[in-house]
Amino acid sequence: MDNTLQQIVLNWIPSQSKVIDFGCGDGVLLKMLSEQKSITGYGVENDPDKINACIINGVSVIQQDIDAGIHNYKGMGFDVAVMASSIQCLRKPRDAMKNILKVANECVITLPNFGNWELRLGILNGKMPSSAQLPAKWYETKNLHLCTITDFEELCCEESFVIKKQVYLNRKGKSSWLANRLPNLFAAQAVYLIG
Amino acid sequence: MKVNTKKVSFVEPLTLQSGEVLHGFDLMTETYGELSDAKDNAVLVCHAFSGNHHAAGKKDGEKKPGWWDELIGDGKTIDTKKFFVVALNNIGGCHGSTGPANTENKLKQHNGANFPEVSVSDWVKTQKLLADHFGIDCWEMVAGGSLGGMQALQWGISYPDKVKKVAIIAASSKISTQNIALNEVAREIIRKDENFHNGDYLSKDVSPKKGLKAARMLGHITYLSESNMRKRFGRRLQDPENKIDADVNYEVENYLQYKGEQFANTFDANSYILMTKAMDSFDPAKDFDNDLVKCLKTIQAKLLIISFDSDWLFPKEYGVEIQMSAIKAGINSSYIELEGDYGHDSFLFYSEQYSAALKNFLNSNG
Repeated sequence: MDNTLQQIVLNWIPSQSKVIDFGCGDGVLLKMLSEQKSITGYGVENDPDKINACIINGVSVIQQDIDAGIHNYKGMGFDVAVMASSIQCLRKPRDAMKNILKVANECVITLPNFGNWELRLGILNGKMPSSAQLPAKWYETKNLHLCTITDFEELCCEESFVIKKQVYLNRKGKSSWLANRLPNLFAAQAVYLIG
Repeated sequence: MKVNTKKVSFVEPLTLQSGEVLHGFDLMTETYGELSDAKDNAVLVCHAFSGNHHAAGKKDGEKKPGWWDELIGDGKTIDTKKFFVVALNNIGGCHGSTGPANTENKLKQHNGANFPEVSVSDWVKTQKLLADHFGIDCWEMVAGGSLGGMQALQWGISYPDKVKKVAIIAASSKISTQNIALNEVAREIIRKDENFHNGDYLSKDVSPKKGLKAARMLGHITYLSESNMRKRFGRRLQDPENKIDADVNYEVENYLQYKGEQFANTFDANSYILMTKAMDSFDPAKDFDNDLVKCLKTIQAKLLIISFDSDWLFPKEYGVEIQMSAIKAGINSSYIELEGDYGHDSFLFYSEQYSAALKNFLNSNG
């Protein structure tokens, strides 16, 4: 997760809160949150190397397949759930979203935007596109349900997920005028606070 | 690796959870590596049901090294170049510490069947006295598998500020009904041995070896997984040259006969009963209105819980239960699930992922 994104998440998450990070990777975000905002954090991850990285970082981590396990964390007093760049990897993203909002009062979701112009050009070129946010080849990507910003916001509307805050980031991971003006075309990534 | 084996004697009376008093006791200990000047590099490893103080290294004439030798040693998972590792034989055991078969008992009334009931928290209490003996104020880590993992958990609860990290491996916060049932069958087999004499066999100069052997054979099956036994022995017939008993047909039978025999020659029947009873009764939540969450809230140490998929004696659900309660309690705790090739016994053996998790945990900050 790059700096701007980290800073946004850092600003949104209240001090002393209890946070669960689904697909926490090496646990760096949770480590930062616990150092700077004194949160109590838990990561959920299924990749042994990333789990080890969490342990090295001193972050509490639970080995689990997210697809199988979000609902297990209901009633545990989480204030915020984080799902950074992993929603599109899940088998049932809509159900996952519903469950996450039962786990915590609020949820931070980051999303690679498949509607970005660079990716559209790739498709026009007749090839599966790749970018800094979506680097993997089609045959080895973990992404199952890629969507555009418009798609995602439509889903939120249909399911009455309230978007409390959102920030659109360009290809460099910065919040730019253009990315915020026409996000579906110019944003490479979107960050939402959903309640 | 610097190894030091010694018996440590405590003269003060020890009041056990049962209310009974031991008028002094001995602990057989073995240490590996060197305690730093600041005494801040100490790791306590707690043994499982039939383990003892000999956790690592191989002594002259020994066929097999200590029970956690794959993980403890110079440059190993628990690196003895960096850490001072303490292992001991718990009281009630039969490898040199005060126990039912220890004829040096201060009071004769505590010999044999009269040895008082001990609990996991009694063991932890004696381990704290041992820490004081070594001048160790706070353990960097307390770790153990199976019944040893229960002691590690109890450490976090009994002495919150005297341990920084607690590794609970192939263990649970209380054992399953099935596990109690299996323990009772094993105990019954021992009790029914004609040489048991209600536990008073020492005074008659006999030993219920047949019962002990059969109990261990049953136990051993529960320590392995079905797939492990299949891979290791299949349905191969035992080579007639090496049959331990004429009635043996299959390799697996021969193996169990051999293991049972070996165990019966080195273990004490009263210790067997006492250790399994301690395992059955372990339930730290009991003192906290049967609320494990409330119980875990007392813990200040970081936890690492490791379960093995192939373990049917302490199924992974029990590890998950501790982890979920730890999350509810808001304490620092990680949970890892490994396949494990050896069923419940997987905790004894090195695997890359297992070793990495434990090593990184031990070496992590804070």
